[in-house]
Amino acid sequence: MGRKFKTSYQQDSALFQNLWVKSWLAIAIVVLCVLPFVLKPYELSIMNGIGIAVIGALGLNLLTGYTGQISLCHGALVGIGAYSTALLSANLGLHFLVSLPLSGLMAAALGLIVGVPSLRLKGLYLALGTLAFGFIFEYVILHWNLTQGEMGLAVPRIQFASFVVETERHFYFLILITAALATLAAKNIARSKIGRCFVAICDRDIAAEAMGISLTKYKIMAFGISAFYAGLAGCLLAHYQQWIVPGNFDLMLSISYIAMIIMGGLGTVLGSILGAGLITLIPHGIVYLTDAFKDVWPGLSGLIVSFKLGVFGLVIVGTLLFEPRGLFGIYQRIKVYWKTWPFKY
Amino acid sequence: MEKIIEIVLSGLSMGSIYSLLALGFVLIFKSTGVLNFAQGEFAMVGAFICYTFASLMKLPYLVAFPIAIVLGAVLGVVIYALFLRRMIGESIFSTIMLTVGLASILTSTAGLIWGHDVYLLASPFTNKVVSIRGIILSQGALYTILVSLILFIVFLRFFNHSLLGISMKGTAEDTDTAGLMGINVRMIHMIAWAIGGIVAALAGMFLAEQSFVRLEMSHVGIKAMAAAILGGMDSIAGAVLGGVIVGIVESFASSYLSGLEFANFHTGDIKEVAAFAVMILVLMIRPQGIFGKEKVERV
Repeated sequence: MGRKFKTSYQQDSALFQNLWVKSWLAIAIVVLCVLPFVLKPYELSIMNGIGIAVIGALGLNLLTGYTGQISLCHGALVGIGAYSTALLSANLGLHFLVSLPLSGLMAAALGLIVGVPSLRLKGLYLALGTLAFGFIFEYVILHWNLTQGEMGLAVPRIQFASFVVETERHFYFLILITAALATLAAKNIARSKIGRCFVAICDRDIAAEAMGISLTKYKIMAFGISAFYAGLAGCLLAHYQQWIVPGNFDLMLSISYIAMIIMGGLGTVLGSILGAGLITLIPHGIVYLTDAFKDVWPGLSGLIVSFKLGVFGLVIVGTLLFEPRGLFGIYQRIKVYWKTWPFKY
Repeated sequence: MEKIIEIVLSGLSMGSIYSLLALGFVLIFKSTGVLNFAQGEFAMVGAFICYTFASLMKLPYLVAFPIAIVLGAVLGVVIYALFLRRMIGESIFSTIMLTVGLASILTSTAGLIWGHDVYLLASPFTNKVVSIRGIILSQGALYTILVSLILFIVFLRFFNHSLLGISMKGTAEDTDTAGLMGINVRMIHMIAWAIGGIVAALAGMFLAEQSFVRLEMSHVGIKAMAAAILGGMDSIAGAVLGGVIVGIVESFASSYLSGLEFANFHTGDIKEVAAFAVMILVLMIRPQGIFGKEKVERV
């Protein structure tokens, strides 16, 4: 398996560490490209949901996992992206390729507004500030004529020349490409100077500042990047759903994003992907289970809403209590176990 | 003039609910360093318990009331013993997220047990009003204000004069030293959670007095956080004052700013966000709150 030791800094921060990683990645790419021709539309719609969640979770992980800034308004930022693209493409007739980055930038601009107070606030105060921001966002879209309140907004279809993106499979490839680019970008941010500054701020911000890292610059950058990701996720979500209402972007969404990164593993790119996959699968799993028990316990399907929230809560609590490093931690333990097998260390 | 007094009084009655919840936040935060995001859910569960005993099992309200208080304390202790006891020394992020998770679990469990409907909690004060020189106030609101006032005096005396209260204050100041001085720190943490559960159950029942019993009641907890922040997270008197201020601000906002129409924005029920606006303002201007002490941090 190639060289056993890393002898230079370049090797340590390489994107693809060895042949092993490269071959797995190649397999993953092939599988992801073949999947839409094998899966049924329903299963493909789950994959699309996961893809969108991956983008959002990557953003939140850069902010919360790497930089250590708690954000309880990620759902609201996703909402800002969704409403931006809805308004831009319906009212101004902008093309998707223009409205996608614009909605990301719009979310980033508002994310920066949340980021500025974060320079003074830490820990629970930041959590509360972002929480309040999320509620105010929900209030504004409910009461602004432009966003049509509870009725929601229709989002036009994406069109490339005469090609219309409409089937699950079309969306799958669109989301896959965006998610792959987002992952690559996140990985590169994390391994460059910016990412190392983020981690330093997370570990001890005062010490980081004393070492010459500009807290102002990097904290605001973390908020901006995270919100940009949220905006992209929101934009894709809006076009995918074709109809957005304020209820899509409430506290529940923020909590599920947090559940994703905690479940997956804080401060890891792979963790965001694993967590996003698992948390998106949970509601579908619950629906599947209630369907299976339909005959034994007919009233069960009416309780799905309650179950979903409770399972998210259990996931968060259970992970924090028993495996604080999340799925990524489990993955690493298994990897180390097999690397040294049959010896314990 | 009468109108203003009425607004202030209705603000006071909502404010005393916020104060009770904020008191729970501050108590638990001070002594265990955990910000309990599930405080509003505790209140909701308390109200549902009271509803179960009073309306479903037809017990007299005055019996259901203490039962709900006791069960509220039990809930606090159970949550502490099962979850939070293991989290001592963990980062603030983990504890915050743990209580957020607990809040979801409590809401979901309550939804499974009691359903998503809206219920009426019949108490001796339901639908009765007092009128003093032209000022009309519901009996429930008056009773909320009076009971809360008595409770605050009791709590202040408890913390300043009783041995247990003083040892709680000591634990809040410095857990390790308090332990060395012979204070049973775990016991103190458990009592803090029990009191947190009690005040939350009280707040829940008072809130049920003024509206209905339903799952969405728990939102009041987040608004009470605004009160706790305003007063300062480490001050008991601050929590009470913060709650009253938030209640009155909300009451004025809903009388004078609701239903206005600007160009293409209508304010609607602005009461819903007034507390959050206060919270953001406080966080921007004075994050440690009115009575809070600014923390000096060393590397």
